[in-house]
Amino acid sequence: MSLRAPTRRSEPDAPGVRPQMLWSLRPRSDREAGDAIASNFLFHAFPAKVSKASMAWNYSFWLGTISAALFFLLILSGLPLLFLYVPSVERAYQSVKDIEFVITFGSWIRAVHRIAAHGMVIVVFLHLVRVFLTGAYKNGAGRGQHREWNWVLGVVMLLVTLFLSFTGYLLPWDQLAFWAVTVGTNIASSIPAIGPTVRELLIGGRTIEQATLIRFYVLHVVILPLGLGVLFAYHMWRVRKDGGLARAERDTLLERPAETPVVATKTYTLLGVARGQAPVIRAQALEAPETTVNAVPDLTRRAAIATLGTFAVIGILSVFIASPLEEPANALVTPNPAKAPWYFLWLQEIVTDTTIRIGSFTVNGAFVGGVVLPGLLIGLLTVWPWLDRSPAAATGVWMARTRGRQNTVFLLVVLGILILTFIGMAMRGPYWYLYWPWEAWPDIPARI
Amino acid sequence: MSDPHPKLPADRRDFLLKLGAGAGVAALTAQGAASLRSLVPNVSYDSPTTVKLGPPADFPDGIKFLPDERLFVFRQGNTFHAVSAVCTHLGCTVRAEALANAQTTDVGGGELRLTHRFLCPCHGSEYKGDGTNVSGPAPKPLAWYRLSFAPDDGQLVVDLADEVATDFRLTLG
Repeated sequence: MSLRAPTRRSEPDAPGVRPQMLWSLRPRSDREAGDAIASNFLFHAFPAKVSKASMAWNYSFWLGTISAALFFLLILSGLPLLFLYVPSVERAYQSVKDIEFVITFGSWIRAVHRIAAHGMVIVVFLHLVRVFLTGAYKNGAGRGQHREWNWVLGVVMLLVTLFLSFTGYLLPWDQLAFWAVTVGTNIASSIPAIGPTVRELLIGGRTIEQATLIRFYVLHVVILPLGLGVLFAYHMWRVRKDGGLARAERDTLLERPAETPVVATKTYTLLGVARGQAPVIRAQALEAPETTVNAVPDLTRRAAIATLGTFAVIGILSVFIASPLEEPANALVTPNPAKAPWYFLWLQEIVTDTTIRIGSFTVNGAFVGGVVLPGLLIGLLTVWPWLDRSPAAATGVWMARTRGRQNTVFLLVVLGILILTFIGMAMRGPYWYLYWPWEAWPDIPARI
Repeated sequence: MSDPHPKLPADRRDFLLKLGAGAGVAALTAQGAASLRSLVPNVSYDSPTTVKLGPPADFPDGIKFLPDERLFVFRQGNTFHAVSAVCTHLGCTVRAEALANAQTTDVGGGELRLTHRFLCPCHGSEYKGDGTNVSGPAPKPLAWYRLSFAPDDGQLVVDLADEVATDFRLTLG
């Protein structure tokens, strides 16, 4: 129990006031460990005790922590870029070129920002895959749990991550940027009735110009990061509310499946008064000494390893991997082939293949593949926790037998997306024709 | 003495509370809407849709691509027509590729010599020389735009807001 008042003190304190300003990262007693959590602003988001099982490297792979570390690194590396980048169609390209070739350490900072962004797309996606395959959006033994809402938050955060990437890679205002905005906003434009209006609002006019750049810039540097930060805080708060990682449920279930204790409860409300309405998590598993450890230092040490490890890997990779910059944006020439960044290539594939023709009636693949299919996929993903009827025992278990069929279908969808991504990356050549990865592309006849 | 309207003060308080809350919500909504409305452009600074393309003599027999207007202008003897280079799928600029053997077909009631086909680099749509979509995701043919001669200096003029049918031809002289 983290919030229990200290029983013995050398001098009396006001309630909630800690005797020491500093805390120990190497606590000598449970009380010192609890103090470290309660008196440290950053650690206060952590519980005082955590289940050993939920900290295992091979359960969560710490993908959520790594995502958060990457987000933090993106904010850090974005700050110097904010001083150097100029969001104007005349000067954006030159300013990015200066960052890359003129400014001391500029190319490294840009590489950190870019590689962390790519990494974040990968890791957030893997985090979602992990949560699905372990059934971690399911509620276990605790009353008042709503893990399904945290799953919904997670899906939204994945979308925000993708939108952050989209708004980010068009800021250099090179060819990739210009044609990505063209295609992306034309997908919005393909929605019947409201499409053209939506596009006009997105790009601030009818052509892709300064108004477009400043809109995407503000989204990228203010609105979306702020939104993601708020969602992240809420995501973490819900993890605490729901009694920690779903893995911890196993301990609860295994130990005393039938018991519903009245006294041994733990409440997270501020006052802890309205027990009847507040989410109340059964805490005997959290208190059992053989299944739990103090958050300080066990949890904090691992979180530090995950975070610093992420920083180290990205920082070192960024020394060796240069960030590309295409030719300046040219509204007159579409590159051939014009490829989206890798994480949108599966979408580029489905907008290519989904134009439907029934007699003389045609539905643009831009709408089917760009709006309807991804919309359905995201919708299904969002409501999945309510469709999942597997027993509570499948909560927080990798590849639970009772969830075998849905895990298989999910993995097939993931595999499909990966295959489409591979086709887009390695098998599409000029005019979006199919080529084998080892096949040479033909010389394109000179254009007129 | 008993109060004939025991609930009245509470009702009034309740009413005023709701009025206040409602006014607050309405004020915030209106100010939020005003802020969002400011993002809807009132004036378009887009380039004009009617563009002078140059004197007809600048257009040789066959095809000429005008990148600024994203337009192909065709000349066949004394007749002109213009086909958009904007792919109808997702708006990339298509490229013209010369055919090995030009073919002559009937388009909109007139003979047209098709020397090229159009290919889109973004998603692989393919169009015939008259703009008809033949394969790939393109849902409809490339647009044809109205051409005219400028009354002042006789230059060729395109109206990119005025789509025409495929029987459109502009004849010189």
